[in-house]
Amino acid sequence: MAEAVERRVWAYRGLFLLIACVALFLKLLPLRAVPSGLPWPDLLLGLTLAWVLRRPEYLPAILIAAVYLLADLLLMRPPGLWTLMVLLGTEFLRSRSTMMRELTFLMEWMMVAGVLAAMTLGMRLVLAIAMVPQAPFDMTLAQLTLTILAYPLVVIVSSYGMNVHKPATGEVDAMGRRL
Amino acid sequence: MARDRNADVDFLGPVRRILIGFLALVLLTIFLLWRIDSPRVEQVRAGLIDRVVPNMDWAMFPVTRAAGMVENFRSYTRIYEQNQELRRELQQMKAWKEAALQLEQKNAKLLDLNQVRLNPRLTHVTGVVMADSGSPFRQSVLLNVGARDGILDGWATMDGLGLVGRISGVGQSSSRVILLTDTNSRIPVTIQPSGQRAILSGDNTAAPLLDFLESPEEVRPGDRVVSSGDGGVFPAGLLVGQVALGPDRRLRVRLSADYERLEFLRVLRSQPGERIDDPGDLVAPPDLIGPQPAAALTAGTEAADG
Repeated sequence: MAEAVERRVWAYRGLFLLIACVALFLKLLPLRAVPSGLPWPDLLLGLTLAWVLRRPEYLPAILIAAVYLLADLLLMRPPGLWTLMVLLGTEFLRSRSTMMRELTFLMEWMMVAGVLAAMTLGMRLVLAIAMVPQAPFDMTLAQLTLTILAYPLVVIVSSYGMNVHKPATGEVDAMGRRL
Repeated sequence: MARDRNADVDFLGPVRRILIGFLALVLLTIFLLWRIDSPRVEQVRAGLIDRVVPNMDWAMFPVTRAAGMVENFRSYTRIYEQNQELRRELQQMKAWKEAALQLEQKNAKLLDLNQVRLNPRLTHVTGVVMADSGSPFRQSVLLNVGARDGILDGWATMDGLGLVGRISGVGQSSSRVILLTDTNSRIPVTIQPSGQRAILSGDNTAAPLLDFLESPEEVRPGDRVVSSGDGGVFPAGLLVGQVALGPDRRLRVRLSADYERLEFLRVLRSQPGERIDDPGDLVAPPDLIGPQPAAALTAGTEAADG
């Protein structure tokens, strides 16, 4: 029993890594060099937050940090800063994941929107303090809005497609403790 | 109840908190290091991209090709108009071809008469586009030629027709081209009939902006824009595009290079680009700074002159 639970956790960690690699790969494809109007929503970030709220044990902080640091380096972002913001955001949600379990989805959505906005603003603030040239504010705002709007979709896909639910009553972890 | 649930793991809490704090500190240090010593961290980044991206080449090829096929298929729907348009253009081109052939013969004859030797340093290396920046805020592409092929930072990159961008970041077997549309791109240009100097600054739209024009009333939409060679950034006379009036009534440049399909790019082996090894110095008269490496001195005086 314990081994089965353990194996499932590792399978989900592997799945997250796989999804992250595929997302990075798709972003790097040289399809169009013309700047397009609207940026894409950051679906990987939505997935990360949804999983951290549902099953924090699937996404240890070190995995999140590794994936986002790699993304920072490959996507020409200032290395480390966005990773730090994601780490702080996920830790904030992780510490509240047991509390969030009783909330309705609308409340969860608003919470996630707030965290996303705080992460984006925090990054822009640090960049402004460090006097790094930044992306245009309207583009950042558009991406933030699209990511927030796409969050329910990501949750639907992750819960029905990948079977990541909030723990049901009486579920136990690998050590036999109640979740 | 929530307290009761985690009662037996509570001893893990503080340790975990310390580890998370340590991780956050490491990330912050990486960012600060990048901010303080950008060239070195960018070298590390170029090395990592060099290691990772070529490994994805086998997977990228079919996907890119399939996307290209879809794009081509979409264009079949208006094949009739395209055909008509092409016929018209072909007629015009025939006349141009005739003129070009005659000029070429004449040019060859004149070169022969004068015994001109073309500058052997004006050659190019051609690379294939491997990946793009992957972010809507950055406009750059990755080429599959790098330090191995003698590529240096700062060299100009063209497609068959016009300027595309500038090399910025060289790995062992890959190099990054900052496109003219990127918000960090600033290129000195000349506008042809009037001879006005300007700066072409990218702003994340398809048509970059013309900045610092002395007298905009002398510039008309349709004028040719070529690189001016000011500041030694680029060789002079590379075609950039045509002046166009944007919807916001500002002068922009419609680029000649075909940004829809960047596949093969030429890197012009133009001049030894200035290597950036240190994060930067004060711009001051040389006697104040004292003895310095030659590169830093020339950069300082150039900036002071400009």
